[in-house]
Amino acid sequence: MTNTVVHLLFLGLFTQIFNPLLMDSVCVLVVGDVLVEENQSHSVSLPSLMTPTSAAGMTSGMELPRKRKGSMDMEIKSASNLVADMKDEEDRSEGEDSQAKIKCFREPHSQIEKRRRDKMNNLIDELSAMIPTCNPMSRKLDKLTVLRMAVQHLKSLKGSTCSFAEANYKPSFLPDDELKHLILKAADGFLFVVGCDRGKIVFVSESINKTLNYSQTELIGQSLFDYIHPKDMGKVKEQLSASELYPRERLIDAKTGLQVQADLPVGAARLCPGARRSFFCRMKYHKISVKQEDKEFQSSTSKKKESEKYCTVHCTGYIRSWPTSQLGEEGGEGETDKDSSHFSCLVAVGRVHLHAVSLVNGANEVLVKATEFVTRYAMDGKFTFVDQRATTVLGYLPQELLGTSCYEYFHQDDLPHLAERHRKVLRSKEKIETHCYKFKTKHGSFVTLQSRMFSFINPWTKEVEYIVSTNTVMSSDHSPTDRSGDKAEPSSNSKASEDDGNKSLPIIPGISSASSTMIYAGSIGTQIANELLDYNRMNSSPSSGNVSPFTVLKDKSPLQLTLSSSSVPNGEVADLEMPGKSSSEEGEQQELKRPQFPAGESLMVETSQLDMENMMDPGLGGLSNDEAAMAVIMSLLETDADLGEAVVMDEINWSL
Amino acid sequence: MTPERERRRIMSCEAARARRRAESQVLIDMSQLLPLPSSLRPQLDKPSIIRLTISYLRIHTLLSGFADRQTWERRDEEGERETREEGERETRERREEGGRERWAEGNREAGDRELGERSEERKKEMGETDLYLRILGGFVVVVTTEGDMIYLSDNIREYMGLTQVELMGHSIYDFTHPSDHEEIRDNLDLTAGRSGCGGLRDFLMRMKCTVTHRGRTVNLRSAGWRVLQCRGCLKVCVSGPSLTCVLFTCQPLSLTHTLLHTHTFTSHHSMDMRFTYCDQRVTGLLSYRPEELLGVSMYDLCHTLDLHTLTKSHLNLCSKGQSVSGVYRVLVRGGGYMWAETHSAVISKPRPTQPHPSQPHQSRPSPPLFVACVTYILSGVEEPTQLLSLGQMN
Repeated sequence: MTNTVVHLLFLGLFTQIFNPLLMDSVCVLVVGDVLVEENQSHSVSLPSLMTPTSAAGMTSGMELPRKRKGSMDMEIKSASNLVADMKDEEDRSEGEDSQAKIKCFREPHSQIEKRRRDKMNNLIDELSAMIPTCNPMSRKLDKLTVLRMAVQHLKSLKGSTCSFAEANYKPSFLPDDELKHLILKAADGFLFVVGCDRGKIVFVSESINKTLNYSQTELIGQSLFDYIHPKDMGKVKEQLSASELYPRERLIDAKTGLQVQADLPVGAARLCPGARRSFFCRMKYHKISVKQEDKEFQSSTSKKKESEKYCTVHCTGYIRSWPTSQLGEEGGEGETDKDSSHFSCLVAVGRVHLHAVSLVNGANEVLVKATEFVTRYAMDGKFTFVDQRATTVLGYLPQELLGTSCYEYFHQDDLPHLAERHRKVLRSKEKIETHCYKFKTKHGSFVTLQSRMFSFINPWTKEVEYIVSTNTVMSSDHSPTDRSGDKAEPSSNSKASEDDGNKSLPIIPGISSASSTMIYAGSIGTQIANELLDYNRMNSSPSSGNVSPFTVLKDKSPLQLTLSSSSVPNGEVADLEMPGKSSSEEGEQQELKRPQFPAGESLMVETSQLDMENMMDPGLGGLSNDEAAMAVIMSLLETDADLGEAVVMDEINWSL
Repeated sequence: MTPERERRRIMSCEAARARRRAESQVLIDMSQLLPLPSSLRPQLDKPSIIRLTISYLRIHTLLSGFADRQTWERRDEEGERETREEGERETRERREEGGRERWAEGNREAGDRELGERSEERKKEMGETDLYLRILGGFVVVVTTEGDMIYLSDNIREYMGLTQVELMGHSIYDFTHPSDHEEIRDNLDLTAGRSGCGGLRDFLMRMKCTVTHRGRTVNLRSAGWRVLQCRGCLKVCVSGPSLTCVLFTCQPLSLTHTLLHTHTFTSHHSMDMRFTYCDQRVTGLLSYRPEELLGVSMYDLCHTLDLHTLTKSHLNLCSKGQSVSGVYRVLVRGGGYMWAETHSAVISKPRPTQPHPSQPHQSRPSPPLFVACVTYILSGVEEPTQLLSLGQMN
């Protein structure tokens, strides 16, 4: 019996689904498939058309004695309308009540019934909240009254429109107009139809008024190209032109990710699969000028340059073409002399892609004010990215800064503090703020900066990719409130005085111009980066045990030692290029490295460079190293079994 | 005594039956008033009827709220402009009139005019709304802030296999991936610190999908997940019962069927977003040679200010398998940057053989190998003289 019911329901679903417009061979196949399956396997659960409780009720009903089952079956078969169904349900539950007293499943059943009643009551409460006539009444209305009022309300809402009970009523939960409205609201875009041959705007929805600020009548009949950014013309033309029978599009196979040449035969379907379009273009945005402009065409032609700007519009839609013969029949006019046998046009929805919006979204991480500039450092402190504002602040051209170590520009007194911060930022997920420090400008003077830094950690590998620093120009002297420098304690006094000195004497010539110090400074960052890498390596090796190598390392850091002694023993090593290291040598170095670590400073520098190279090796990219990563992969596969689904799904859409 | 009791029992039974009958009758009336296909109506149980009624009333409230708001907004915006009647029919008439006037003005080729009229006729013929839905490449959902889906366009079936009637009135949380619930909740929230976005929403969620990639429909219980890009906006309805909803369009993301034009390039990345492959077109757009991009991280190629955008997209990719980056700046070799948007998907290794093509779930798919991306270039080179990163040099 359940199978019958299920079958009926499925049939019902699919008949409902058979919107004549959507009628298509693929759909038929789908339905056929399902029905076949239903016939074969009897383990189909109830479709979720029923609410869970009712479904539960059904299953409990199935457990009833044979006699009841039979009667139910008969009733459903004889008249599967609502009355019978409901009456049956009621009868059944009533009968069950009396029977249940002797049955052992009384307990679960009563619970099921209670759940059902609770659910009904909740629904009815919700319903009464939606009915205006119910609201003013203070007392709680009984079920039947609420339902009756709801019926009245529905009737009043519908007004004079035709009854939905009509047999040939085309099912749509909302009137077309309202749905259209809803879609445009949701999409926040505009519909447009553009002829492919000349780019004439055949139709544009009124909502363009809200998005691009044109009136509908202003645009209809115009050329789309008048409203496209000159540099995007080619792009749009390309989108419009690729409408020949065998489109030259390239598809990506979701399975392999490789491009496949589409050799899809263009069937009888008017909408061939290659007709989908999705592209971005910049369109003119019409600003309302201050003076009250008439929205007539004349005034809009005379719009000034400054009254318009471009915004990026994401257009999704498809190319539709009609055989002109068909058109001719309908129009009753001689269209046969048309240049092509098809009239095709792009039917698309344009959604404005606001840069501003995305910027607001993305602004949480890096906020930029006028007095700020953003830099990016590699782990070893080398500049890899410099904001254009840096040039005005620091005087260096980007190409002068890029690739050099930031330590080359720091004032000597600030080095301990900044090195400490550098080390900290590599280990921390938080943003780290530095004290004010002095940065040497191109002209040899120092500018006082304060930076907020964070290490950017690759979401997949969980490894530091680089350091992002937002640097604020502190033109005036600042109160040393946050100067609780723990490590930089001895130098902080002198630093403070330096700050003062700096303010009064902006140019301190040649204070750290000795080339040896410069080179040395550059290697500080390398050492710090190396510390982290080393720490990571030791941490990952099983032998490291419970010892926290990093703290040990940090305390006995060669950097600290050498900072106190101002000699520069291995400056030239940092400068050494070592691209030609053979792999065996590299292995040797790594073997050597650990035992020699506490003493071998020069080696540290060398190996660090090698390590950095290793880091950049895509092969090391991280699939193997992380168990957690694998877990992510597995969960991913579980959830989104195969992307291939997308393929056929879309094809179904297209062949409508 | 016993007969008396029996009589009373019968009487109360009768009364209860009469009450139920009345209730059923009301519910039948109610179901007849619902805009549903008549074939479906007998199959609805009582809770479903009420559920659908509630949804219907809510969407109605919302829509009438729109009408009010719109006329109001319009007056506000347009100031002295002529106030227009709401109502689609009138606008359509107006549009036609306007169009005719324009065309009658002359200086347009007759062909265009005819074509325009024709296509308009066509459009009406096939139903403008269907057209809208089709163009959208997705379906429309209206969800209250509590998560009740009060409306879904009926083309949801094409994408998810689930029907409008099945879903309407139910909670969105019952049909979406548990690990996406927090994000959904965030996006349904009226206040959640997104004042800057002006109520705009753009997020990804995974929803139950009962259509397999072979087009078969499966049971809801064995439904898979499908990644949907949800874009829309928050609407507050003030008139009548207060109702705050998020309206959004859900579009399945897929890399297939993208017409790759000259302003796009495709690339493959390892899971940490380092290039493992890039097609030739990147040279024409960003001036990098494909081979010199190998091993370069996507994060080295972007503007620092857009780091967050890309990270978010990457996280989506890791957790959901597909993502859309949103707009970001990609650095051009030699200087400057371009605005771009990348659509990406995790691609699993193609299975060597498929012994039972009818049962795709049988063999566990192998781990993902790489990320496939399609990058759309949205603009020209901005500030081409500006050198920003090390990667742009040499």
